[in-house]
Amino acid sequence: MAFFKKKECGKDYPKDTVILHQFPRGPFAPSMSGFCVKLETFLRMAKIPYQNVHAYKTGPKGKSPWIEYNGVVLGDSQLIMSYLSEQLEINLNMSLSKEQRATARAFQKMVDEYMYWSVLLERWVYHRGETSKTLTKLPSLFVWEIGRRTKNMTHAQGIGRHSPEEVDRILEDDLTALADFLGEKKFMFGDEPTEVDCAVFGQVSQVKYHVPETVKARKYLEEALPNLNAYMDRMKETFWPDWEECTTKGFTTEATK
Amino acid sequence: MLLEIIICCILLAVATVGFYYYKFRIANRVRAPKDVVLLYQVGRGPRAPSFSPFPMKLETFLRMTAIPYINDHAARFSSKGKTPWIELNGKAVADSQLAIEFLKKKFGVDADGHLTEGDKAVARAFLKLTEENLYWTMCIEMFGDNLEPVKTVIPYRGFKLWLTVTLLRRALGKQTWGHGIGRHTKDEVWDIAVRDMNALSNYLGTKKFLMGDEPSEVDCSVFGMIAQIYWHMPGSKHQVYLKENLQNLVDYIYRMKDRFWPDWESMTLEGSSCKSDHGELHMPEKVTTRNGLSGHRFLNGTT
Repeated sequence: MAFFKKKECGKDYPKDTVILHQFPRGPFAPSMSGFCVKLETFLRMAKIPYQNVHAYKTGPKGKSPWIEYNGVVLGDSQLIMSYLSEQLEINLNMSLSKEQRATARAFQKMVDEYMYWSVLLERWVYHRGETSKTLTKLPSLFVWEIGRRTKNMTHAQGIGRHSPEEVDRILEDDLTALADFLGEKKFMFGDEPTEVDCAVFGQVSQVKYHVPETVKARKYLEEALPNLNAYMDRMKETFWPDWEECTTKGFTTEATK
Repeated sequence: MLLEIIICCILLAVATVGFYYYKFRIANRVRAPKDVVLLYQVGRGPRAPSFSPFPMKLETFLRMTAIPYINDHAARFSSKGKTPWIELNGKAVADSQLAIEFLKKKFGVDADGHLTEGDKAVARAFLKLTEENLYWTMCIEMFGDNLEPVKTVIPYRGFKLWLTVTLLRRALGKQTWGHGIGRHTKDEVWDIAVRDMNALSNYLGTKKFLMGDEPSEVDCSVFGMIAQIYWHMPGSKHQVYLKENLQNLVDYIYRMKDRFWPDWESMTLEGSSCKSDHGELHMPEKVTTRNGLSGHRFLNGTT
């Protein structure tokens, strides 16, 4: 019964290494979840050693990603980032003023608590057929169930009560706000990346790579927001030089990392 | 005999449904003249014009942009199952933010005209922080284990109060779980609330309004939300924290109150000159203030 034995930290998992539990690799980006991309980008940005465990198993709050670190189990990407920053005395926002940090928090909330939901609706509800064909190998019953849960959660959150046209516009407005704030800058707050870049990169990566091409916002990002597009490429080159090895290249290979 | 009982029960059920349909959909229906916004919201609050942040946001926006409106306080719900919502020339628009976008187009008004694109982006981000994050921490705080404070704020009595609180609590439990924030511990939720309030205070700094010397659209929302903390969350952690640590936010809500709600005392249930404005027209009047700047003042009067 060896495989039922719970792994022991230090014995089976290396000490001082984050064990990052996340969904399996995505077809065109390292994950189909903006939060998994966000957290893994943070670990790379902060140079924290980590190991991936790719599975659909969810963490202590019923969600993914989640981590184990020296025996501590934690859920929620933002709580994990705060915890690790405190434990390891890392501050990716050191160069920011109080006002800038407040603005960074506001943008993190906008992408994680708002934009995230419109992407879910586009992918799993409005364009579910296209998603089934091009973005997932899950059987249609699973996709239907994900769609049903998405409808319930977005109804609870509020945004699911809007019409598809309204949600399209909301998503475009959020992307426009990001592009307008970014302007000519290399990263959200200047020449150096900061913590909020992880969240922005994570959520926008889903619009860029993991919604069907029939979604208006994907075309809008490609055609109307060149600075935001260039920013996405810049983040990818800076933190994901091994990007290709972290995707299944459209289900044609196994991801090697 | 059984058949007669069943028929009686059905008739009773139909009569009850009919009564409530009439009461909520038809009775006391307010009619608005052409080009006057009909604002559907719940009734006035004890110490602020509403016991919910979104009606205050929407009504403050109407005042900020000098759009005439009439209130319907009968707590009718929109097609999206929420309130507040509006009707203009027969067209209904649900959701406070979508209503604002709609009104901006219809009336050609823009409370953000003086902001750069970059500033508008920041304003949108703070709008989301306030409405999609801080708001839920407040709901969790007010509808947690101790329901006594919220019962002093919702201005109903007896069975109606019990029913409202029970239904709201159940709905909010589902909503916060679906949203995600309801999965955190109380301490984690409180940490989120503190960081959000600090962010608003730090960004406001010494400015008069969130984005500078002049108010903008996001101020309607931030004002609506912080006003609830200050006036309608008695004894809560949020209220204590706000009063003890974030004086600039307290000064800010008083500034917004003085600017857009000179009639505050008649728009709150515990106000010194409280009176119902159900069905009354709020008409802006262009005025010149003492320092020569033009603005708007709202007159309460009938058509």
